[in-house]
Amino acid sequence: MNFLSLIGIEFQKIRRSKITLILTAATIILWLPSIINADMNFEMQAEGISPENNFLIQGLLGMAWFMFPASMVVVTVLLNMTERSNKAMLKMLALPVHTAGLCLAKFVVLLSLAAFQILMAVGMYFISAGIASQTQDYNFILQPTFVFREAFLIFAASIPMLAFFWLLSVCVQTPVFSVGIGLASIVPSVLMINTKLWFAYPMSYPFFVITAEYGKLASSLTTAQVEYIPWLPVAALITIICLAVSCLCFGRAERR
Amino acid sequence: MSFVLECRKIRRTGFLPAFLCGGLLAAAVPVLNMAVRSENYLKLAAPPVQILMNANWQVMTMLNLLLAVAGACLLYHIEYADNAIQRLCTLPQKESRLFFGKAALLTVMYMIILALEAAGIAFCSCRWFELSPDIWLEILKGFGYALLLTLPAALSSLFIASACKNMWVSLGIGVVGVFTATMLPTKNFTLSLFPFALPFQSFAGTAENTVCHFMIAAAIELIVIILAEVLFLKIRRSFA
Repeated sequence: MNFLSLIGIEFQKIRRSKITLILTAATIILWLPSIINADMNFEMQAEGISPENNFLIQGLLGMAWFMFPASMVVVTVLLNMTERSNKAMLKMLALPVHTAGLCLAKFVVLLSLAAFQILMAVGMYFISAGIASQTQDYNFILQPTFVFREAFLIFAASIPMLAFFWLLSVCVQTPVFSVGIGLASIVPSVLMINTKLWFAYPMSYPFFVITAEYGKLASSLTTAQVEYIPWLPVAALITIICLAVSCLCFGRAERR
Repeated sequence: MSFVLECRKIRRTGFLPAFLCGGLLAAAVPVLNMAVRSENYLKLAAPPVQILMNANWQVMTMLNLLLAVAGACLLYHIEYADNAIQRLCTLPQKESRLFFGKAALLTVMYMIILALEAAGIAFCSCRWFELSPDIWLEILKGFGYALLLTLPAALSSLFIASACKNMWVSLGIGVVGVFTATMLPTKNFTLSLFPFALPFQSFAGTAENTVCHFMIAAAIELIVIILAEVLFLKIRRSFA
């Protein structure tokens, strides 16, 4: 079996899991307050950001700080629980397939679900910006290329975080710990982005990137900007280590 | 009886250490905050407990809520994982007793973590502010209030967990609930009544009238959730 068919099988497994419903519900709730409070975008003159940019950035900040990481923790639970129930893991280990391949196929599914949620959020953004433009009589809709660029930034910055969550769910056998550590690690990211050591904390990357974008768009607000040199090598290292360890640990408890 | 059984069931699930660690983490928040930037808070003219609660309660509540959601999911996951729930349903007792046992366990755990957090706040007020004799009463009142307001969130996540067979569905709904609560404005009374938004209220510095309203609302929500659970179990049983 090649890698692509493994990924296809993983997608079939989660077909009836209703996870897309949960991910979509979160994106709808994300943009509802923005539609209701659309008039508040005109009061941001002190920061020097245009109302349409503010509309997008506030929503993305809400997404990057809690909703997106927490949804991804839920997705890792889903990917793991489908194997834990009914001893599916043992059956999978009996197949003539490399376990690292299985592990990476599941990680690719996690990445695709992350991309799916971000794309849903972008879709919802265009709908809610359209509604807000109608109610406020002001064009809130930005250039699609710009919006997709911001969305892609969040996705790219979240890959090390996803690798870390995946490591947690593979290596920590007790579900309450993997979920608890994952969710609890999201909360301090607000504090971490204000420190010099933010690049060592993968959970803060998406939020940091969007905060930096906010600083770029708002003329009178200066936020810390992305410095590629310590960040990219550290992020790549974290991703590789997390994936390597999770590939080694995948199915270890069942193989004993 | 049911409560004792629940305590024995959680022995090897990591439930207890997870709650203790979460409680300690939440209790460390005010201590760390004061240790790093106490100069921001010492100048403020307000009672020490109010300063500390305003500065840290949001983060602490967030941790408490996430712990409640994850804990509730786990409590029902151990029943659903290997079809233990089917055996429980054949026992000559009401299904709702299981829920009450779990609810009692979650409440006791909540008392423990809130006590840890109260200790954290008390430590901060002793260490960085001058001590006044009525501070203990104030902390006690504040955390009793917090316990009452947190219970609707804990019980509703337990309700969701009991309704969904798969752990990720209940966890997902709980996470979406907590996320919704963070998006709601805390000043609006009607919107704050959302069970997951209630715990973000703090006792210190709130008018007595509002406190009363919130307490009544929390009590009503508790009764509604319990009734809904009993009704839900009856309906599910008759259609299963």
